[in-house]
Amino acid sequence: MLRLAFRNLFQNKTRLVMAVGGVGLALMLMLALDAVFTGAEKQLTAFIDRAGADVFVAQTGVRNLHMVSSWLSYSVVDEVRAVQGVDSVTPIMYVTGMVDTGKERNLAYIIGIPPDALMGKPWRVTEGATIPAPGEAILDRAVAAQSGLRLGDKVNILGQELRIAGLSEGTASITNSIVFISMSDFELMRGVAGKVGAGQDAQAVSFVLVKARPGEAADALAARIEGKVGGVTVQSRANFAEQERNLVKDMAADVLTIMNLVGFVIGLAVMSLTIYTATLARRAEYGALKALGARNGHLYRAVLAQALVSVTLGLALGLAFTLALSALIPVTGSNVALQVSGESLLKVGIASLIIAGLSAILPIRQIGALDPAVVFRRRIQ
Amino acid sequence: MSIARRNLLQDKTRLALSVLGIALSVMLILVLSGFLTGVYKQSSAYLANTPGSVAVVQNGVSNFYGSASILPSGTLETVRKTEGVSRVIPVTSQIIIFEVHGKKQGAQVVGYDPAFGGGPWSLAEGRGIQADDEIVVDQTLAGAHNINVNDKFTLLGRELTVVGKSKQTAMWAASVMFIRKSALESLLKAPGATSMLLVTPSDGATAQALSDRLRDLPGADVLLKSDIIANDTQLFARVYNGPLLIMVGIAFLVGALIVGLVIYTATMERQREYGALKAIGARNRVLYVIVTIQALIASATGAVVGVGLAFALGQLIMTLRPQFLVSIEPVAIGWALLAGLGMALLGALFPARSIARLAPADVFRR
Repeated sequence: MLRLAFRNLFQNKTRLVMAVGGVGLALMLMLALDAVFTGAEKQLTAFIDRAGADVFVAQTGVRNLHMVSSWLSYSVVDEVRAVQGVDSVTPIMYVTGMVDTGKERNLAYIIGIPPDALMGKPWRVTEGATIPAPGEAILDRAVAAQSGLRLGDKVNILGQELRIAGLSEGTASITNSIVFISMSDFELMRGVAGKVGAGQDAQAVSFVLVKARPGEAADALAARIEGKVGGVTVQSRANFAEQERNLVKDMAADVLTIMNLVGFVIGLAVMSLTIYTATLARRAEYGALKALGARNGHLYRAVLAQALVSVTLGLALGLAFTLALSALIPVTGSNVALQVSGESLLKVGIASLIIAGLSAILPIRQIGALDPAVVFRRRIQ
Repeated sequence: MSIARRNLLQDKTRLALSVLGIALSVMLILVLSGFLTGVYKQSSAYLANTPGSVAVVQNGVSNFYGSASILPSGTLETVRKTEGVSRVIPVTSQIIIFEVHGKKQGAQVVGYDPAFGGGPWSLAEGRGIQADDEIVVDQTLAGAHNINVNDKFTLLGRELTVVGKSKQTAMWAASVMFIRKSALESLLKAPGATSMLLVTPSDGATAQALSDRLRDLPGADVLLKSDIIANDTQLFARVYNGPLLIMVGIAFLVGALIVGLVIYTATMERQREYGALKAIGARNRVLYVIVTIQALIASATGAVVGVGLAFALGQLIMTLRPQFLVSIEPVAIGWALLAGLGMALLGALFPARSIARLAPADVFRR
């Protein structure tokens, strides 16, 4: 039966291309959307994953990094350093703001780091300095390239003109990039040290990044710091990253459900259409099989096998399209990252099987009612 | 025309499936663009409904969303004393991520002073803010998480009492919430901090003239409120446009393939008739027209059904998930119908190719 299904499908190449292409694209709709969100999840945690810290200390109630505001008094830095099990600490300042490249304005995590920062600095610098000095900024390479900027060029950050001293990689996401500036510039621009003084605590920091002593469990250390230092929320790197991933998951869940449903219905329509027309076009052959004594059960199996083969090919094509797209997009300079996850493949695979089963129902009705005498009538192409 | 119509109507189930396929593609395109338009509209709701036509923000800040702005102290007093200023609303705002029922939720929290304005413009229930431990939450967010007036609500570790539910403040990912300005300053550990001044010119003064007059404020930028709204739209466009274009592109190709598949099958079934037409002297061009008309009929019907489906799905989404606004604009419908036309023309390529190859002698064989 599988052979019959194969022959039926491959007999007309143009139709096969359109049918499998249609199914492939419909499944790609589901795969690509999942891949966009999986990619965004990974991009979103890039700083947390790569900052080099085992534990992150933030203002009470702050469990995320994306677009949040966290302010701690500078005294917290010394209090954290004194906790048993802490190897080293690096305070950073953080705000979400615009980087004006002259050509365009990009949303960015603006990170202020001290000159002796052990953590929180750019983890992959392709050109220039790894820690920005006063008056300098380290910018994402893709963002700089989009505006045709090079080392030494000027950008406007938080209203101040800074010189690009370094270019980093892996620091741009679908929503924003990460830009590193010196802590002293940050203090001046935000008025934290009281210079433009809107009343901010003098000498405040946003997060304290903590390196644990060797052999010290991050979760236990986080709990210890939270117990010893007041007014802070402390999370291990794994927990902080998990919270950030949950942010994307919780906020995107509804959109994903809707889009997956639409992709599923489109896939179903394309698939039904394909199997239906392919079966109809081969009515004469099925009639001949019936005239030769084949039972309806045999023919049903042939149609089901045909649906299964088409969907399997479509799924392979959809996956290939999505992988091709994920390889192609970074070349265009876009910050959208697509990442196909095993979970997503499983979901789309199951959806495909259901699609295949349902699509076979329509033509089965046709076959069941088929008159064996049809074979003796004019041949239908 | 009649050949095209008859060819198409020959198998009604197939035609119905193809119309459904195209309709779904058009629907997807429309719902996606409607979602984007909805995000734009929701993102501008606060500024559009708060008095003032000129905005004063920290130097280098040009958005309401996404940028943390802190104005230099003394800016408020300077602006108030400026000639041509009728009203100044100082607000502090910040995106805050919190958890409700174990789910992450983002909100643009606006701190306002009830004496000057800048709070909720339309309340579904309750009242505006009076004290530092009070909060007005968005009606949709409250509905989704069963939050009622007088309930306690924790924000950045501080317990607040819900005193009202605001209307028109819903937004996917960041609904607007209101607390007293001094309370937000304290939550952000920034006493006295003001993010934005919304300035109304006095009678006779234009927004542009006032904006020019305020231009030299130290450490601050002065923009028209409409420019801030446009910048916010651009900010969201930058985030959403990439994935959206991918989806629309795929939906477009799926639609084209569906049209192609249907017309191709219909053409192959009528191969003999097309051969006969060729044998009696019909040129390829005539046959192309027949094929294209079939494609156009199928896709036009599909596109019209798709527009209807898009409105229905949009309504369904907004009923089930009120935080989404799906706003389908006439321009988007125009584009979707054009996309349907594009799908038809692209889809017609496949059958046209096989017709061109058809030898007139085929009709006399078999």
